[in-house]
Amino acid sequence: MNSAAFVILAFMLGIYVLLDGFDLGIASIAPLIGRTGPERESAMRAIGPFWNGNEVWLIAGGGALFALFPKAYASAFSGFYLPFVIVLWLLMFRGIAMELRGHFATRIWRDFWDFAFTASSALLVLLFGVALGNLIRGVPLDANGYFTGSFGFLLNPYALLVGLTAVAALALHGATFAAMRIDGAPGDRATALIPKLAAIALLGFLATSAATAAIRWHDLPATWTFALPIVALIALGLAARFALARRTREAFVASTAFLAALFAAAAATLYPMLLPGYAGATGIGIFDAAPSTTALLSAIAAVVVGVVVVGIYGTVVLLPQFREKVTVNLNP
Amino acid sequence: MDIAVADRLQFAFTIMFHYLFPIGTMGLAPFIAWFTWRGAKGDAEAARAAAFWTKIFAINFAAGVVTGIPMEFQFGTNWAAFSAKTGGVIGQPLAMEGAFAFFLESIFLGILLYGKNRVAPMAHAYSALLVCVGSWLSGFFIVATDAWMQHPVGYAVAADGRIEMANLWAVLLSPFALWQYTHVMTAAMLAGGFIVAGIGAYYLLSDRDLAIGRRFVRAGVIVGAICSVLVVFPTGDRNGSDIANYQPVKLAAMEGLFKSTKGAPLAIIGMPDSRNGTLLDPIFVPDLLSFLAYGNARANVNGLTAYATELWPPVEVTYYAYHVMVGLGTIFGAISGLALVLLFWGKRLYRTRWLLWLVLLAMPFPYIANEAGWTVTEVGRQPWIVYGLMRTAAGASPTVSGGETLFTLIGFAGMYFLLGALFLYLTLREIGNGPGAAHE
Repeated sequence: MNSAAFVILAFMLGIYVLLDGFDLGIASIAPLIGRTGPERESAMRAIGPFWNGNEVWLIAGGGALFALFPKAYASAFSGFYLPFVIVLWLLMFRGIAMELRGHFATRIWRDFWDFAFTASSALLVLLFGVALGNLIRGVPLDANGYFTGSFGFLLNPYALLVGLTAVAALALHGATFAAMRIDGAPGDRATALIPKLAAIALLGFLATSAATAAIRWHDLPATWTFALPIVALIALGLAARFALARRTREAFVASTAFLAALFAAAAATLYPMLLPGYAGATGIGIFDAAPSTTALLSAIAAVVVGVVVVGIYGTVVLLPQFREKVTVNLNP
Repeated sequence: MDIAVADRLQFAFTIMFHYLFPIGTMGLAPFIAWFTWRGAKGDAEAARAAAFWTKIFAINFAAGVVTGIPMEFQFGTNWAAFSAKTGGVIGQPLAMEGAFAFFLESIFLGILLYGKNRVAPMAHAYSALLVCVGSWLSGFFIVATDAWMQHPVGYAVAADGRIEMANLWAVLLSPFALWQYTHVMTAAMLAGGFIVAGIGAYYLLSDRDLAIGRRFVRAGVIVGAICSVLVVFPTGDRNGSDIANYQPVKLAAMEGLFKSTKGAPLAIIGMPDSRNGTLLDPIFVPDLLSFLAYGNARANVNGLTAYATELWPPVEVTYYAYHVMVGLGTIFGAISGLALVLLFWGKRLYRTRWLLWLVLLAMPFPYIANEAGWTVTEVGRQPWIVYGLMRTAAGASPTVSGGETLFTLIGFAGMYFLLGALFLYLTLREIGNGPGAAHE
């Protein structure tokens, strides 16, 4: 029961990472693939119909965490108070930048919003990565399960390493999406960027894996989960190869598999904890407070409804748009 | 700064700002569903009306999402003790809101906005209907959560003090929740009616988009007039008697009644002075409060002094918010009722410029009435976060300081100022563009 709840929660957040991953990633590398205003605008148009729907998964995942594991929800969010509120501000600011950019025709405003869009997106990914790093490393909790550390504690070298790796991995994901979706120079630049980003992601992946093994050597996850990093490595290699062969759609699929394997590996490392304790402190795990049957059933129903509805949306609205690539508009 | 005070200030500010946008989405969605359906049946003018209101709706929706995300997470960031204790109950309707309602609303809004030329006209109309269902379901789950905090039912207390869900349906379908929900939704529809009528009046008074402007005025006035009645009777009336039965201290604060009275009068106006326990300069209607609360003009109504002062909600805020809501509700009834009469009396309304001016200028006031109503509900609930079960002061996050919350409150204020300016700019621009054929 508790494990089923954990899997559902991981599934919802995993979907969020895969979906919002490409639009956060594209935003992070927008200045690299778009040299001119209209070129950068093509990056925004590539994700225009998607980003809002993608973020709904974050909201649904947050709601599911609240319903299934209230204690972990309360402890994590109040413990990471300032970083978390900063994440909320960045999410809002990014949405504002995205919506506003098109409404101001002058160069100076466009440059401003482009910068705001890229900076807030990259910073968001970094913070998400830092949060994940802290989850794996463990946080100091008191007897009631409340966080006793400081903001500075959360910015440790390990968490920053995970954060930077997350930036590289999502930049790669965004590049494969851009390569697939955008025509002309920006798409070509994104394709050329894929192998380079894959190399950086590989370095980050290896360093993070080594550091994680060093931190968690006393508490290794089940043996089969070690297949996940291998899947990730193969997928990463494939993404680079497909990009060199200019098979952009396959590169995007490979990058999706890479991210999914990474996320699954992180979830497997964490299991059965939600908020592990640091340096001997007792953490909060999935068995501390059994979620009620109704909570679990409504979460399952929510996932099914979500997947079905998104499936309908995908076939009716997005697939037709998918067939045509986004082009750079030279006469705005 | 005291942490619970800072947390309450931040919650009040962020929720009141956020709620401006759900008023727009819940209030406009039925109009959009109606116009889209007429449009799908071949009414070209209705299709233009639908496209116009869908654009306004989409701006409201985006602002609602952006300001809604902090709401969901604030339970964890600022009210961790409350969430840890009651999350087994309130987490569920909130999660359902995210899952069912939010998916439904956002996905089908996507089809409504981008799918017009991709799907069949009737499929487009059904999308509009589902957007409406989504936004109303969203409202339902939120109100059900709040109603549980007002009048907790269907729960069990676990050995460690946590409150667990015992019966989901008892929580979702509690009569308290259903009457609160119908009151909230008719109030949102009233606002929707006044928005549609107000924009229509704006076009008529500006001598532009006349045909469609008349249509807006007609639809808005009819809905506004019906909802001005429904919001009082039966929904407001039933809410009032629920409060009289389950939250008598709140009722006493709403009415500014300090001393318990048989045949209690209703104060139409007056200024409560909670320090001295009097209502200054009142105008009373004798016996009316007893009658409204308990259906009997001679019934005893407990005054505030019947309860310990530590159980009093902030009297002045509760009293004024309630009187603002009721006073504005009366004015809405008068304006929309008069407009309805002139509408059906040979369409005189379209030529009666002074009344069109009133309809136009009335537009912001349903927003104020909606916010005031929620203020009565939430401020009047104090000092409880869950009525009778948990004090508000005990619900705040133990690890967050008042200074931190004050800092984030200032940050939210800055962010929302930017967002509010953006919202106004975009909305006014759409209104300026208008529903004309040239902007299809």
